Amino acid sequence: MSETKTTEAAADEPNIRIVEDATCTFCGCVCDDMELTVDLDANRITKAKNACVLGRAWFLQHGIEDHPQAMIDGREVPLEEAMDEAARILHEAKFPITYGLSDSPCEAQRVAVAINDLVRGNIDTTTSVCHGPSGIAFQGVGESTATLGEVKNRADLVIYWGGNPAESHPRHFTRYTVTPKGRYIPNGKKDRYVVLVDIRKTPSSPVADQTIRVKPGRDFELLWALRALVRGRDISPDIEGITGVSRETLDELVERMKNCNFGVLFFGMGLTMTRGRHFNSGALLALATDLNKYTHFVAKPVRGHGNVTGADNVVSWQTGYPFGVNFHRGYPRFNPGEYTTVDLLARGDADAAMMIATDPASNFPKRAIENLKKIPVISLDAKPTYTSRAARVAFMVATYGINTGGTVYRMDDVPITLRPAFDSPFPTDEEVLTGIHTRLKALRANGRKKAA
Amino acid sequence: MHTELELVTAPEVPIEAECLSPAKIKGLSQSGIEHLEMMHGNRKVRVGDFFRVTGNGQCSLRLEGDLSRVKYIGAGMTEGEVRVNGSAGMHLGAGMSGGMIRVSGDASDWVGPEMSGGRIEVMGNAGHMVGSAYRGQRVGIMGGEILIHGNVKNELGSAMRHGLIAVGGQAGDFVGVNMRAGTIIVMDGMGVRPGAGMVRGTIVSFQPVELLPTFSYSCWLRPTFLRFYLCHLGQSGFEVDDAYMGGRYRRYCGDSVEENRGEILVLDAR
Ligand code: SF4
Repeated sequence: MSETKTTEAAADEPNIRIVEDATCTFCGCVCDDMELTVDLDANRITKAKNACVLGRAWFLQHGIEDHPQAMIDGREVPLEEAMDEAARILHEAKFPITYGLSDSPCEAQRVAVAINDLVRGNIDTTTSVCHGPSGIAFQGVGESTATLGEVKNRADLVIYWGGNPAESHPRHFTRYTVTPKGRYIPNGKKDRYVVLVDIRKTPSSPVADQTIRVKPGRDFELLWALRALVRGRDISPDIEGITGVSRETLDELVERMKNCNFGVLFFGMGLTMTRGRHFNSGALLALATDLNKYTHFVAKPVRGHGNVTGADNVVSWQTGYPFGVNFHRGYPRFNPGEYTTVDLLARGDADAAMMIATDPASNFPKRAIENLKKIPVISLDAKPTYTSRAARVAFMVATYGINTGGTVYRMDDVPITLRPAFDSPFPTDEEVLTGIHTRLKALRANGRKKAA
Repeated sequence: MHTELELVTAPEVPIEAECLSPAKIKGLSQSGIEHLEMMHGNRKVRVGDFFRVTGNGQCSLRLEGDLSRVKYIGAGMTEGEVRVNGSAGMHLGAGMSGGMIRVSGDASDWVGPEMSGGRIEVMGNAGHMVGSAYRGQRVGIMGGEILIHGNVKNELGSAMRHGLIAVGGQAGDFVGVNMRAGTIIVMDGMGVRPGAGMVRGTIVSFQPVELLPTFSYSCWLRPTFLRFYLCHLGQSGFEVDDAYMGGRYRRYCGDSVEENRGEILVLDAR
C-alpha cells in the first residue's frame, strides 16, 4: 500500500501530505514512480516529483471544481435520482450503447460491461478510434509481444513507426526504450540502435540513430516491401518512387533487423489511423512475426489514454473481444464497422448512449454528433464537457489516480495500482455505475414479476 | 406465385431478420409467417409487427420498402428466390449456399459474407466488405457469385476462395486482399493495394491500377476465359465494352510476400 505521511506542522503551516509511488494516468506509460506533495487544505497537489511536463500539468492543475454531483437536463438533482433516471433510460432503450472507458479504472470498466450484458446493449471503447485497427489485426495476424521491462533490459534495436513519443509519451524513451541501462544493455543508449519511421521530422527525431521518412500514406507499401525482403522475395525496382525510401536503406534495415538480438517495433496512430488502418497494423505485426525466423522480435502499440489498455483487457476477458461488442442476442458479438460507436452513431442506429469519460460531442464526425443529439445521453466525466453539457443525465465523478484508487493497465498490459492523493466530494465512476447496475437488476426483476 | 412482405412500420433501430429467407417461410401459412421472430435492437419482435404479409409459404419471396435497416435478409438460404424492391441492410445473404437474391436499390456492408453458393445481384451500390470473410476468419466466400452494378467500398472479396465477384462501377482499397482463389472483376477502377497478401486467384481491372511493390509484370495476354465471364456478365445486364472482350491484358503476378501465384490482369489501354 502507499506510504502516506502527514507532517506534524504548526497550526499556521499548511497541512501537507507526501504520496510516494503514486501513478500518473495521463498517458499510456502510466508512470508509477511519482512523488506527490499534496496541500490538503487547498486540495491541491503542489509538487509532482519525477513527472514529465504533461504529468506535471495533469497533477498540478487538478483542483476540486464547484459543480453538482448529478444533473438531469442541466438541473441539479440528488445522486440517487440521477441514477434512477439513467437506469430507466438504459432499461427502456432498444439499442443502448456505452462508449469511452479509456479514462476509468478497470473496476469501473468491469461494471460497465456487466451493465451492457444485463441490458443487452453495445459496448465500445476509445480503442475503436485509436488502435482499434490493431485489435482487428491482432485477431487476424496475432501479436508477438513483450513488456516494457523486457524491452528495457534486452532490446538492442528499437523501431518507432508513426508515433512521436517525445511529445505524446515523454518518458517512454527515458524509462524504457532509449536511455535506461538494462541487464543486457549495460551502456544504455550506446548499446541500442533507434530507428524512427515517420512522414516528417518530429521532436522525437533527434533521439534516433536513423530516421526514415516515408511518403504520406505509404506505410503499408513500405512494410510490405520490408516483409518481402525479410522473406527473401523480390520487390519493385521503383520502391523509392513508391515509398520515398531507397532500396539501400531498406536492405540495410532488413539486415539490421535480422541480426539484432532483441528487436522491438513500436507503432502509433500515425500508422493505425491512416489509409489502410488495420492492414497497416497487420502488416507491421506480420513483419515482427516474419522476423522471428531469424531473431527475437516483438511489436507493441504505443497507447494514448491512461487506461485504454485496461479497457481492452477488461472487455476482452469479460466478452472475448476487445471493443465493439454487441449483446443484443444475449451473447457477445464482435464486428468493427457494425458495432463500433462512430459507425453506429453515424448511421443513427442507437437509441440511448452512456458516455464514460469521453467527449464524443467534441471530436466525432458531424453526422455522428447530430444523431447523438437526438437520443438521451448519460454522461460520466470528471470535468464538464460538450457531451456532459448536452446530456440528459450528467454525473460528475472523481478523477482516477488523483482522487480515487483502482487498477490501470500500462500500454504493455501490465496492471498497476493507483494511489490517490486526496479525497474528492464526487462519487467514483465505479460507484455511479454500480448504482445504475443495481437499479437495472431491480427493474428487470420487477419486469419479470409483472410478466409472470 | 410469391410471398410478398411489405415493410409498413419503419424500425426505430436496426432489425435482424434471418427469417426472411425462403427456407424459413417454406410451407408456412400467412399467420405462420407473421409470427416468425426477428430482433428489433435487443427486443424479440414478430414479422407481423413490421411487415404486411400476403401469400404463403412460396419459395419466392418479394420484399417491398426501405429495408436498409433490415439486416441478414436471405441469410443462410439454400434455395428459392428473394427479390428486394428497394434497399437492403447489412449481411445480405450471409452464408447462403443456394438460391438467388436480387436487390433493386443499394445494399449495405457485408454482402454475402462467407457464402458458398447461389447468386446475389445488386442493381445499386454496396458498402464495405462485399463477399468477404468475417473478422477473424481465414476464408471468405467459397463459391457462388456476387454481381454489383454500382460501386463498392473497401475490402471487396477479402480472403475469398472460390466463385465470382463482379463490380460494374468502382471499388475501394484492398480489392481481393488475402485472396485464396476465385475471380474478381472490377470495371470502373479500384483503389490502392489490390491483391495484398493474395495467394492465388485472379483480379481483373479495365482501368489502370496502382500496384504494390510486391507485384511484378510477367507478360501480356488475351485470356480466353475472360470472354466467357464477360459474355455471362453482359447477359446479366453489365455494360461490356468490345475493347474488354478482345483487348490485351498486362498480367502482373504476386503477392510475392505470399506465394506469388495470384494474378492481376489490367486492360492495356493501347
Ligand atoms: S510519461 Fe505519461 S504517465 Fe509518465 S509522467 Fe509523463 S504523462 Fe505521466
